Amino acid sequence: MSRKPRKRKRPRQAQSRQRSRMPSVYQRNIHQADDILAGEGVEIRPDNWQQLALDWFVPNEPERGELARYIADHEPELGVSWARELLRLEVFFQARDYAQIIAHYDQAFSRYPRCALVEMWVADQIFRHAGDFWRARQMYRYVVDHLPYHPKPYYELGFMSYLLGDFVGALGWFNQAAEQVTDDDVEMGARVFYNRGMVRFALDSDREAAIADVQEALRRKPDYPQAKEALRGLRGRVRWVPW
Amino acid sequence: MVKSHPKTITKSYWVPTETAGERVFWMSLEFSLNRRSKAGQPSIAEVAWSSGSADEALLELPPVVPERIRREAQRLIQPWPDSRYTDAYRRSGGILNVFTPPWGEEQDEVWAAMAAEWKAQDFANDQARQEAFLALEQQWNTTPHPFFARLTPAQVMVCGGPHEAELADEFLRRLTRMCDGRPFQSEGEALIKTLMLLRGWQCQPRKGGRTVLDIIVSERNELLARRDRALNESANSR
Repeated sequence: MSRKPRKRKRPRQAQSRQRSRMPSVYQRNIHQADDILAGEGVEIRPDNWQQLALDWFVPNEPERGELARYIADHEPELGVSWARELLRLEVFFQARDYAQIIAHYDQAFSRYPRCALVEMWVADQIFRHAGDFWRARQMYRYVVDHLPYHPKPYYELGFMSYLLGDFVGALGWFNQAAEQVTDDDVEMGARVFYNRGMVRFALDSDREAAIADVQEALRRKPDYPQAKEALRGLRGRVRWVPW
Repeated sequence: MVKSHPKTITKSYWVPTETAGERVFWMSLEFSLNRRSKAGQPSIAEVAWSSGSADEALLELPPVVPERIRREAQRLIQPWPDSRYTDAYRRSGGILNVFTPPWGEEQDEVWAAMAAEWKAQDFANDQARQEAFLALEQQWNTTPHPFFARLTPAQVMVCGGPHEAELADEFLRRLTRMCDGRPFQSEGEALIKTLMLLRGWQCQPRKGGRTVLDIIVSERNELLARRDRALNESANSR
């Protein structure tokens, strides 16, 4: 059995220099994101950064229009560097790496004007994965102020209020989400009406209102197992329906 | 004669976060302060209300109780201020609030809105302004708060009683059965799952048709009424 050659011990100062040169997990992930972007043939230049940001981060309306407005409002402060950070963020979203999304948002986006659309998506990670309700709440409230026609922040604030045990507050937020949600947004619409129905029942056992909302959720999304189960419960004689 | 010795009971629960684990521990301390002995002797909190002395009440604690817990108990049974009950931010809020991530004045949207309204008002003089502020603080103390699962800060201050302690144990055992060993992608996911179970559970009707929430609120109201009686009797006897 051969012995491994003994490594010569480096002086402590040299060891610490070596450590500081090693890339952190965050930096490694940034390099990986850059590699992925390069592999996709993305080259961010002064003449295409706006288009790339829109195509990569928000290919669909109405978000695309919102981001275009943000870019127009803050164009001198943004540019190629901002677009690079946004595309990296999108790569982390696609990889569903919530820790990296939050770390990248914190590291890269504090240099730029707040973007309600970016905050809305990052707040989801902060709320649902990091479990930092209070930070996410502030971000959603900012989004409500800046994207008042978007149902998502109202829905998330309603869900958060429900989790906090504030059913009255939850109903208020879900009502606002229901006012904003369109028929096109099938997933969000179904969730808003299902959750509003459940809160109505939890608040004052308003069975009829709850049934109407759950039926509306199923009209929007017929394949919604939780809503089907809830509807069976509400039509039965039970006094409590599992959420 | 053999004096009765304190019993050590250990319980083990699954909880979603480390913070929640600590809060569950402090919640059980809060419950113990409102527990009367089997012989019907007053609880530690009742002794504190009647005597006006936290030190005297803490004589009821067995000597084995560690200093850190004794200090915490002392904080919990301190006389309440005439102003806003800001110590409510530091209490567990019982089983309805024990998993809520900790929050304080910085996050308190309710107090911020009340204070902003007060600041914007015109008053005849400084005294009127100060009186309005004190009234506002009292209003905050007794208004259901959205971040305390709609308990009032006063209901949080008084802490939970034996019925809530039993219910909390029931929920924590159920949570442990459902979640222990189950993989979660993140702390946030575990926390949200826990809170969804909790909010469903608190709405379940029990014997007599009352929900868990009803039972908890009515016990806390009973404890508040008991506290008022004890304070009044103590004031009249002086």
